[in-house]
Amino acid sequence: MKAKCYIRGCAAISPQESFAGHFAPQLLTLEGKSMMRVKEPDYSGFIPPNSLRRMSRVLKMGLVAALQCLRNSNTSVPGAIITGTGRGSLQDTEKFLHNIRDYAETALNPTPFIQSTYNSVNGLIALQQQCTEYNNTFVHRGFSFEHAVLDSMMQLAEGNATEVLTGAFDEMTDEHFYIKSRIGYWKNELTQPAELLDSNTTGSISGEGATFFLFSSKPSDICLEGIKMVYKPSGEELQQALQAFLSSQDIAAEEIDLLVSGRNGDTQYGHFYDGVEGEFSDARVFYFKPYCGEYDTAGAFGLWAAVKELEIGPAKTVLLYNNFYGEQHTFMLLRKAAI
Amino acid sequence: MEALKLKLKQQIIEALNLQDTKPEDIDDNAPLFGEGLGLDSIDSLELMVLLERNYQIKVEDPREGRKILQSVQTMAEFITSKQVA
Amino acid sequence: MAERVFITGMGMISAIGNNVEENFRSLRAQQSGLGHTRYIETIHREVLPVGEVKLSTEELAERAGKPGSPEFTRTTLLGLAAMQEALMSAGISDPRELPAAFINASTVGGMCDTEKVYFDILDPEKEGTFLKYIDTLDCADCTQRIADETGIREYVTTISTACSSSANALMYGARLIQQGLVQRAVCGGTEALTRFTINGFNSLKNIDKQFCRPFDQQRNGLNLGEGAAYLVLESESLVRARKARVMAELSGWCNTNEAFHPTAPSPEGDGAFEAMRKALAMSGRAIADVQYVNVHGTATLNNDASEGKALERLFGTEVPKFSSTKPFTGHTLAAAGAIEAIFSVLAINRQMIFPNLNFSEKMEELGITPETKLLEEYPVRNVISNSFGFGGNNASLVFSKYEG
Repeated sequence: MKAKCYIRGCAAISPQESFAGHFAPQLLTLEGKSMMRVKEPDYSGFIPPNSLRRMSRVLKMGLVAALQCLRNSNTSVPGAIITGTGRGSLQDTEKFLHNIRDYAETALNPTPFIQSTYNSVNGLIALQQQCTEYNNTFVHRGFSFEHAVLDSMMQLAEGNATEVLTGAFDEMTDEHFYIKSRIGYWKNELTQPAELLDSNTTGSISGEGATFFLFSSKPSDICLEGIKMVYKPSGEELQQALQAFLSSQDIAAEEIDLLVSGRNGDTQYGHFYDGVEGEFSDARVFYFKPYCGEYDTAGAFGLWAAVKELEIGPAKTVLLYNNFYGEQHTFMLLRKAAI
Repeated sequence: MEALKLKLKQQIIEALNLQDTKPEDIDDNAPLFGEGLGLDSIDSLELMVLLERNYQIKVEDPREGRKILQSVQTMAEFITSKQVA
Repeated sequence: MAERVFITGMGMISAIGNNVEENFRSLRAQQSGLGHTRYIETIHREVLPVGEVKLSTEELAERAGKPGSPEFTRTTLLGLAAMQEALMSAGISDPRELPAAFINASTVGGMCDTEKVYFDILDPEKEGTFLKYIDTLDCADCTQRIADETGIREYVTTISTACSSSANALMYGARLIQQGLVQRAVCGGTEALTRFTINGFNSLKNIDKQFCRPFDQQRNGLNLGEGAAYLVLESESLVRARKARVMAELSGWCNTNEAFHPTAPSPEGDGAFEAMRKALAMSGRAIADVQYVNVHGTATLNNDASEGKALERLFGTEVPKFSSTKPFTGHTLAAAGAIEAIFSVLAINRQMIFPNLNFSEKMEELGITPETKLLEEYPVRNVISNSFGFGGNNASLVFSKYEG
């Protein structure tokens, strides 16, 4: 597949002050547990009150990040809407599970069930923007956003769309934080973002976010050149996949001047990052998880951070590498286009 | 009846999260759906849940539901008729 | 010119059979799989009919060679049964022989088993094997377990667009092949009945207490079902190289969105119309070339009215034979698109049109009625299969007879 995929605009709701469009990385101070929450913007300027009243948290986050991205890109109706989410609306899923039990399966509110459906954010974006074109949602941990990106690149390559709105959203609830803590997803002791990468313990800090991009086949400043996903590789297979990806993109390791790395401070998966980072000794490395935390679609925040780095320079060629708990690994290559 | 209607309005505002609406903003006879409060079919299901939880009235048929849920007045009349019966 | 995409293998399990041939026999015998649940603990057990697979989770585990493995949920086990048959029917003994994709579809992942232990998981006092279920909460779990059992790993992902999920999985796999990213993609979906989903659709008041009656004036909602189905898609060049048997061509597809309402389709079926029209255009077939439409036909008030309008708009007075097979299987949500894709291929290969059960009275808003009889030796060359869902997600697929 050969198609140019330019990034015309983006928007992020994250634990950072990202919504306004700039990225001034701030290490937060957490209290109580190793969990970062997003800074929610004022949604009222984006969603009519009559629609807003029913929406749960991640629906608002997802919809508004998408709308802000469209605004930032001077577009209103994209040619396709494609998203990824690992968990969808956890709040609604939990509410419906609790209601089933509390009301013994009688007189149940339909709203949490409807909103627990993974594609509900996509449906809302399409509805609000009256976009009747291609619409898809991937729900596969660290391959949710990444397949949304691949699908988008294919849409552009096929000529089915010239502009694709592509994004990801995930939230964390206290209930789900506890559930995942039972199988070692998070650091046992309260760990501050500033200590995340040097903590030398297992688990990570939980994060969340909603991030959207407008991909276009029409040239603009920043180009997403390619993506490669690798499923459950050994360390050696990952290295081979990296080399194959670089050569398929016709680029030498020395040409990468910035590596955006998803290192999450979990010692179980550090060796993957060691291996990849070791290939780019000349490049500057930016670690994005201390700013957004770990979640299924954190890779989307990583891509957003890479775009922001390219916008301000001096980086011209960026490689993004991320994995989700050692199973789903992804490389993306970005370039500042010579226009 | 008046007390019932006021209570219904409060319950509707809470159930549907009509944040900027006060009970006195809702006219007894104004249509709840479409033009009036601007409610939709999902709201009508939520209102049926309200009737079932608070008044032990089960509406099985969505077509019957549409008649009962026309306005606060029709809802109150229906509840009263069920309670008498 | 993009490569053509062929179907070289199929596997399935549903309320009417544990493999493709059993499903075909039930369709031909006009034997519905609807009834009351044996395996779900719910107060609706005796009230709401479902299309349940006639094997317990333990029996499914036994058949899949995974006895005593609670981390293999019913969703995963249904998927494994369909996957094993699909690979076998495609003559693939080692799926690792070339880089392939597994594109799965799911609406609630392992909820079927997770919901039984969810409140134990939340209880810090409780410890035990149920902790193995935690990772089965999401949709990726079943996909990865099935992928890992088979060794498919080049592309592994899961799509969730409600009731059109597996139709979108087939579309995505076909596009990966056309873009040259893989030569083979196994695509479809798996769905187990859950208390969560039964209560969800019941809260929307669209489950019929009787057996569902698609396209009937008296229809009153759907019946939920469960099952799994996968189709092996291969590029034309791979098919030629390995001399694979071709079952049919996936010749056209389209995905549109209604942009109308969170759960209801537009009254005039705008999205359905566009999805069918564009899928047919892509296939290079004309309206007159379509002999059969396997409709979404859930028997909800809205779907059938909207889909029927779309059929009338697209085909005018020449609407081909159409039927909903949901009175056989129930609505299997994420699996429905793939299950009905297999029924579409069977219609072509067995030259047969399957009846729309439980129909008696024409809908007042439509001029058309579904096919109610089993038609044998019927010349079926092109079939449209529709899958429409919540969030306005519509998908139409076109299957065509393979003629070399």
